[in-house]
Amino acid sequence: MDLLDLIDTIQSIADGLLFGATYAMLGIGFTLIFGVMHKINLAYAAASVGAAYASLLILAGVKAPPAVVFLLSAVAGGVLGGIVYVVCFRFIPLVNPLATLMSTVGLLLLIDEIIVHETQGVPLAYPALFSDVIVRAGPFGLRGDLMFVFALGCVSMVVLLLLVYRTRLGLATRAVSQQPTAAQLCGISLDQVNGFTFIVTGVVGGVAGAMTGAAIGMLSPLLSLPLTVKGLIVTVIGGLGSIPGAIIAGLLVGGFENIFQFLRGVSERDLYVMLLLFAFLVFRPGGMFRTSSARE
Amino acid sequence: MDFYLGLAQIIGIHTLLGLSAYCVLLTGQVSLAQAGFFAIGAYVAGMLTVLAEWPLIPALLAAAVIAGAIACAVGFPALRLRGLMLVVATIAFGESVRLFFFNFDYQITRGNIRVGPLGGEGFRQIRYFPEHGWSTLEVLLFVWMVVTLVMAALWWMDRSRAGAVLRAVGEDEVAAQSTGINITAVKVSAMTVGGVIAGAGGGIFAHYTTHIEHVQFGVVLATFAIAYPILGGLSNVFGTLLAVLFVQGFLIEGLRFLGDWRNLLFGALILLAMNLRPRGLLDAGAIAALRRLSYRKDATGA
Amino acid sequence: MRILAVAIAALLGGAALFVPESTFAQERTVKITGFGAKSGVVRVFGVNSEAALKAAAEEINNSGGVTLGDGTKAKIVVEFLDDRCNAEEGISVVRRIASTDAFIAVGPTCSNVAESLFGILQKKVGDSSDSGLQFPIIADVAAKGGLAKISEWAFRNVPSEFEMYKSLFAWLKTQHPDLKTIYGGVEKDFAHSNATFGVMKEQAAVNGFQLAGQSEWLLADTTFSTQVREMKRADADIVAISAHPFTTCGVLKEMERQGVKPKLLIGLTSSSSIETLQGCAKQAEGIIIPTSFAPVTPEAKMAAERVAKFGGSADLHSAAAYEVMFILRDVIEAQKIMARPDTVAADRVKMREGLAALKETKGLLGKIGRTPDREAIKPFLYVHAKDGSWEVLYNPAS
Repeated sequence: MDLLDLIDTIQSIADGLLFGATYAMLGIGFTLIFGVMHKINLAYAAASVGAAYASLLILAGVKAPPAVVFLLSAVAGGVLGGIVYVVCFRFIPLVNPLATLMSTVGLLLLIDEIIVHETQGVPLAYPALFSDVIVRAGPFGLRGDLMFVFALGCVSMVVLLLLVYRTRLGLATRAVSQQPTAAQLCGISLDQVNGFTFIVTGVVGGVAGAMTGAAIGMLSPLLSLPLTVKGLIVTVIGGLGSIPGAIIAGLLVGGFENIFQFLRGVSERDLYVMLLLFAFLVFRPGGMFRTSSARE
Repeated sequence: MDFYLGLAQIIGIHTLLGLSAYCVLLTGQVSLAQAGFFAIGAYVAGMLTVLAEWPLIPALLAAAVIAGAIACAVGFPALRLRGLMLVVATIAFGESVRLFFFNFDYQITRGNIRVGPLGGEGFRQIRYFPEHGWSTLEVLLFVWMVVTLVMAALWWMDRSRAGAVLRAVGEDEVAAQSTGINITAVKVSAMTVGGVIAGAGGGIFAHYTTHIEHVQFGVVLATFAIAYPILGGLSNVFGTLLAVLFVQGFLIEGLRFLGDWRNLLFGALILLAMNLRPRGLLDAGAIAALRRLSYRKDATGA
Repeated sequence: MRILAVAIAALLGGAALFVPESTFAQERTVKITGFGAKSGVVRVFGVNSEAALKAAAEEINNSGGVTLGDGTKAKIVVEFLDDRCNAEEGISVVRRIASTDAFIAVGPTCSNVAESLFGILQKKVGDSSDSGLQFPIIADVAAKGGLAKISEWAFRNVPSEFEMYKSLFAWLKTQHPDLKTIYGGVEKDFAHSNATFGVMKEQAAVNGFQLAGQSEWLLADTTFSTQVREMKRADADIVAISAHPFTTCGVLKEMERQGVKPKLLIGLTSSSSIETLQGCAKQAEGIIIPTSFAPVTPEAKMAAERVAKFGGSADLHSAAAYEVMFILRDVIEAQKIMARPDTVAADRVKMREGLAALKETKGLLGKIGRTPDREAIKPFLYVHAKDGSWEVLYNPAS
């Protein structure tokens, strides 16, 4: 392997790690829902992409600065999160996890169809921040916009950790997920807390959707299913409920994806990502940062 | 008429897919790998009838056995996983199978054309049915013969001790284990039986569509597979059949007159169904009600 | 009970009195059903095809309609069914159409649906041992190579990518004799892109361009840094991308990011639509694509306006659907199709014969030739993206 190949390999890894920041953002929301609330929400990625679409469609041609679009996506994500709670979880008794799983699948299909109906399935261009910033480090170039996404991911992590472990709402959420009956006895309203948590994770999802759209430069209905699968993989590898785990797992999956692609080509790339997942499931079933609750 | 016969064929094939997931769901495992076994069955049966020129029934049997064997192999590592981890692992398995077939080339020359699976382009010209002059009615009867056999076997199993054991493991593993049930054997057998049924279903599917490609066997099909037993209710094999009728017959074909709205209603109606009847269309309550109806009829009839 | 029977009889009798005689005699309709994908990422194709079929039907009806075998004139009514780009549903849809009085169906959009569909048709006409469906289908959009060969009941009006790229590379060689190397990019898991890429590579080589390498990606991929870096290293004069708008735009944006500026950019036929311009007009500037439709002739311009009236946009795919409607009218009249419930089987056979016998048809850009294996040889021209719209670069027919 000559120098050029070595440089290319390292650049490939770096590119993958950076793009993994988008997976990391998505993984944070997933892991919160699955790990802290113990609910399987398969509509999460679709809702995130839907929030990004909503931000575009609400502005419908108005030339707004990217930051406004992202903010709108976050708000739309929160609204969608609330809708997900009411429509998929609120009225189904807790003892029916399969029913909630299926209802989120129904919502995923519905969100996808609404997106397709509004846009005729045509990809829409998405604004980006720092999209023309390339940080040069010797022969390597690092995408500025992806570094911004990574920074945003870290900020979200800090904010969410503070929320979950330092606020009353976070305390209530953890109480409700660990012992719903006891929490109710303490006067905590199940509906309010769950609803609020869904809205918060929805906001995170909206930001993740916006960042993904910004990183790709476009939104397409093609995105929901692959992002759902990637988000799930990232969550499992990172450890259910561990937000730092989700970030690191996201970067890892991004990096490995690129390295597999560089070494073995695109047809086999995803096969190796699956093998990576299987390796984790066999050797470290709780994920990288397993919490005690995850060791079921 | 042909249209209704064709629709009944699709319902039959999807019922097999649903029943394969039903088996595994009874033991409490949410398996999104059934589409993978379906794919294996499809490719194996297709290759046997087209490349090796086997007759249909031996090809389907071979497909079912091979899919079952692979399911058995998958069942063991799946034992260590629960809940979301199992869901993700089975999705990953299904995707691995799909990606395998995406990369799989095996063509032979027959006459002046090449036949066989060709990676991304798929496997075309699996024309056993038309080439051997099977009419739509004959294919329908064949499909439903297989479905009836499978449903009868599952129904019988449900009423026997095996069914009780399966459901016990599904309800509460710890309790089941403390009564001496071998959890490993039960779960792996359920997975294997699910694999066999999916393999047979996949083999028939390949001959129905005459062209199969990796895209068809993705996460969407896997989700449909578990959707049928969940929507239909796990108390009864007829629940799955009812759910397939609901989805394929009503949602997909019956709502066609709504034009564009049909697709929107698809997801919305599933949502509604789960909210209104979380235990499925034909859950234990519904079956009890139906039984009460028949008792009342007996009472008035006598 | 008897009162009810009498009442119904009276109602029916009264109703019969009120229906004017003339409506039964003159107002005949012929229903032509199209089908295609109106869901998912390919929804726009179905919407455009439907609009094109309806626009063409309106045009035919405004000039009197189609003359049937018994001399009466009938109006064409178009129905469009959604197959969701799914092979099983496609088969269901065609069986549904075949169980009505229809004698032809137009579609599908997706090549994978066409594969399954043509596979369930009878392979050879008159083969009584083959129980396949005996129903003619003419495809407007499904463009993967060689599909009509599958059955003698299958016809297509799609452009021949072989001819288009053969001609394009030959012309490019004459226009740019200084360009030597070409680098390719392909969407590996989409059959159409993959097959066309093979054609592109072959024709480039035949015309003396040297293939400097190729990069691959999948249709839902979102990051192309590795592929574009390979492209950059190869530093070829021409870059040819065989992919649909989503990934084409992704690659073009990455090329801009890494500063890869080839002297010429070539794209896939399907990407010469508004989708590409909506996604990345700036980065796609200058991309050359051969296409079988552009509003350059008076017929083409009128067709584009009419299709727009019905809510679609005219591009090479929907234009094919528009042309198909006129082909069907001509065959119905030539074969003297009766379009009655008791002549259905005969009509279908006549329709097939009529379509198979065609040597050439009228297209929006000129005459379209028909091949013995039921494909079309359509006139084409080259367009390039300029200032956010597609402009004609060169018309080989001129």
